[in-house]
Amino acid sequence: MSSTERAQGPTGGTDDGPGTAEFVQEWRNAAYNCYSSGHKFCREVCPVMQVTRNEVHTPTAFHANVVAMEQGLLSIEDVARDYVHCTQCGACELRCPNTLYTGDFYRFRTRTVQLVKAVRALAVDQGIHQPGWQRWVEETDRQRSEPVLGEVPVSQEHVADWAAGLNLPVGGETILFCDCEGAFHRTSVPRAAAMLLKAAGVEFGLMREQWCCGGPAAEMGYTDRAREFARHNVDDWRAVGARRIIVFDPHDYITFTEDYPAWFGDDYDFEIVLFVELLAELVRDGRIQLTRPVDRTVTYHDACRLNKRKGVHAAPREILRAVPGLTFKDVDHVTQWSYCSGAGGGLPIERPDLTAEISRRRVERAADLGVDTLVSACVWSERPLTEQGGKRDDPIQVLDLLEIVALSAGLAEEPA
Amino acid sequence: MIGFRLSAQLPPEPRRVNDTVVQRFDHVYEVDPALMREHVQQHDFPAWDTRRIVDSRWEHLAWMHAHWADSVVSGEELMSSGE
Amino acid sequence: MTATLVTDPVIDELIGICGTDNVFADRSSRVNRARVPAPFPVHRWAEHVPDVVVLPTTAEQVSEVVKLANRHRIPVVPRAGGTGLTDGAVPLRHGIVVDVKLMNRILEIDLDDRTVTVQPGINMLKLNEELQKHGVIYPDDPASYPCSLVGGRIGTSGWSLIGGRYGHTRDLVISFQIALPTGELIWVGDGGGRKVRKSSTGYQLKHLFMGHQGTLGIVTEAVLELVPRPEAEFAAFFSYPDYETAWRSTGALAKSGLATLAGVVLFDEWKLDYLRRDDEAYIPQSDDVRCVVATAMYGTTDEVRPGARRLLRIGQETGGAYLGDEISQGDWASRHDRYATPLHGRLRDGQVVPMSWHCEDASINWSKLPQMRREWHDIVARLGDRFRIFDDWGMFAYTNGAFKPWGDYLTEIDVGIWEQELDDASWDAWVTAKRDIAAVAIAHGGSISACHGACRAGEVDLVPAELGGGWDVMKKVKRVLDPLNIMNPGKYLLDQAYEGDPA
Repeated sequence: MSSTERAQGPTGGTDDGPGTAEFVQEWRNAAYNCYSSGHKFCREVCPVMQVTRNEVHTPTAFHANVVAMEQGLLSIEDVARDYVHCTQCGACELRCPNTLYTGDFYRFRTRTVQLVKAVRALAVDQGIHQPGWQRWVEETDRQRSEPVLGEVPVSQEHVADWAAGLNLPVGGETILFCDCEGAFHRTSVPRAAAMLLKAAGVEFGLMREQWCCGGPAAEMGYTDRAREFARHNVDDWRAVGARRIIVFDPHDYITFTEDYPAWFGDDYDFEIVLFVELLAELVRDGRIQLTRPVDRTVTYHDACRLNKRKGVHAAPREILRAVPGLTFKDVDHVTQWSYCSGAGGGLPIERPDLTAEISRRRVERAADLGVDTLVSACVWSERPLTEQGGKRDDPIQVLDLLEIVALSAGLAEEPA
Repeated sequence: MIGFRLSAQLPPEPRRVNDTVVQRFDHVYEVDPALMREHVQQHDFPAWDTRRIVDSRWEHLAWMHAHWADSVVSGEELMSSGE
Repeated sequence: MTATLVTDPVIDELIGICGTDNVFADRSSRVNRARVPAPFPVHRWAEHVPDVVVLPTTAEQVSEVVKLANRHRIPVVPRAGGTGLTDGAVPLRHGIVVDVKLMNRILEIDLDDRTVTVQPGINMLKLNEELQKHGVIYPDDPASYPCSLVGGRIGTSGWSLIGGRYGHTRDLVISFQIALPTGELIWVGDGGGRKVRKSSTGYQLKHLFMGHQGTLGIVTEAVLELVPRPEAEFAAFFSYPDYETAWRSTGALAKSGLATLAGVVLFDEWKLDYLRRDDEAYIPQSDDVRCVVATAMYGTTDEVRPGARRLLRIGQETGGAYLGDEISQGDWASRHDRYATPLHGRLRDGQVVPMSWHCEDASINWSKLPQMRREWHDIVARLGDRFRIFDDWGMFAYTNGAFKPWGDYLTEIDVGIWEQELDDASWDAWVTAKRDIAAVAIAHGGSISACHGACRAGEVDLVPAELGGGWDVMKKVKRVLDPLNIMNPGKYLLDQAYEGDPA
């Protein structure tokens, strides 16, 4: 049984634990703003809910629980595990009428992602840990990078191995930030990024000592640790006189444009550039020439953190349409509000079974279009999608947008 | 500029539309902030987020039309064409 | 919390039926299945928490759970989307919640005989995303279109925004399988053929099991109508300087006889004032836009274009001014998922507060709309005079007839309620107001509810008065089909069916 506790009554929440009252006070109106509306347009776009169909995994429940905590019906112990079931893709909060129809008018919108992070942090503060996340963050703390299983052993010593032979300088006004999954697992993505920048004549360097961005730790509730990583990275940027940070990983982009500003305030004066938007500009301006045909039939997987959380969906499509030889079967980005790879928010660590099923469904949708390749712009999504694509009788290959562009620009060879 | 800068996210000062509505961006109405002081406080709302929501709303409505039918007939066009 | 009948051995039996992963007795699972969107006295949440939740995957599992409940005399409450506005899925006596959301498969798409067979936990929008690949759709379109589920649509006998063209849930569900309150699985339709739309064999049982709010069983499979995906959509919104003109124009548009006309919606002056608070379509409208009438058509292009021309002409000839494509198309597209949002709420000093939306609906004939509207607004105004937590959000009237959108209307008065401040006194006043609102509908020859059902506190008291002798039949049916009062006990005053029983 998923829930073996057989409580005699619903009267949990008598022992609130430290921080619960403050948490409830902070989130009270936001919670009522969901609870009082009770429309559940979040539900069928939620990637987890689409698989589990379990109401306790819905954004509605995530908000209602706060009201129930205020009423003394539930405590953080009762619900902490429920909040594991979120990829933080942002579909729910965008699809919510309180955002989509009135969020801009009231300057008050549904913020499920922030709520989930806050509940996870409250749980950690009260000593309620999810074992996988706890180990993950401890390992990240030890090695300064996330313990991703990959081609390269995770350690500070190897953090820039992906750039071997590229002769990239350290420091400068523009820094290319490489996330952990790219640095140690899918190294072809940062290599493609670096080569494309060089080909376009963009001057950039690497950090002196790059640590994890801290975003994953913050997503799992370990906010203090996350801020230590962030502090290190910002200090490193300042030490080399950086003014502009280029990121290709959507997760880093969220961390640098939402978490870091919240933590550092107005002093945070860096320009954060999303690689895919810069790339679209470089291709448009002819600074990167896409001359080599790529004979593939592809569809594009909208990275959740770009499409849903940042409204970035045009640039990747513009780039794909500029690749010669490519047959591009597009599914519009609004339909893709309900798509996800399941790779975000720590879900693959605590519920790998759900990540695998979410990815399987995503790949199946691609297969229905008759494509041979699923193109993503999120390096984290590519591991579970690749696994599922490879398991099919008619395999679907998963490529990063940068990998495809590097092929077309003649900077890389077709993968075996 | 394609990059994000925190200093560029501060919305412009509002100008009044009527007794209860103001405007900071073209075509985007907002509640008079004075009406959200006592019971619900407004969020810190970066400019990119306002644009994202407004764009998403129209994209969603366009999606809903396409979901229900192949085409949408325009009343204005019918009235001007005298078909 | 009363002593529970759901003991560990019962839970073990449920696990034996549904599997270990689909039985939940933890607090979170139970607390989160106690409510639906309608305003709820939040301070009395604990009264509605079930003892255990099951998520079956087959009709046979549903049947076995209900049989088990009969053996142990444990209440059973079915739950689909939990989006209903009359509390059908809210447990009144705790017990077992049978949540059908895992039963969401499409079982068959029959393009020859134009049906789709589904499990009850599927959502209409998701279903249509599949169906449109085949050039067909299932046109059941409530305001909860992107989230409500087929099982709940049957349980409430729902109303569809485009029912004037395509019919409502009862017209679109051809037949279905239901687990009776004693657990037997039967099929009901028009006669026996699962894909037959019209039959004269026997009693017409399909209607009996439509809108029962979980009191007569649990739907486990349904055969639904398929219609051609529309080639063309047309929406036209007209404005009027006063209610009288708008109301007459509504009647003229609805009686036009245009076969592609899917619906006509009348917004009254209170609704316009409310929309002007925060809706970008209505904020810039001039003061002489006092009422609005919305219309929409669907069908082939060859039908819709000429029909639209005539519709525009009728609207204008009866005093309406076309509001333009942007508002007509934009607002109409938003009506497929139009739920109120809490920040619409205002105190009388204008301050914004998060209010829940309560939509009090009725069926009423066109000729009675103006008088009923005055009486309803008066009731809500008196309520607002006494308690600051109530806010009049205006009224809509929608064409209500299936295929023939004239004659009667779904009318609703939308009321904002500041639930954070709700207490026993204001709740009692609200229940009284609901009873008064229902009484007005009955007094004008209408029905308490056109689309939600009538089993919430207040209005439910008047169900016997509305149904008259039919209420006695309803009680007899309940008692025969559910001898132990297992299915959603307490709902719809149906405990009265057992009065005089030796318990």
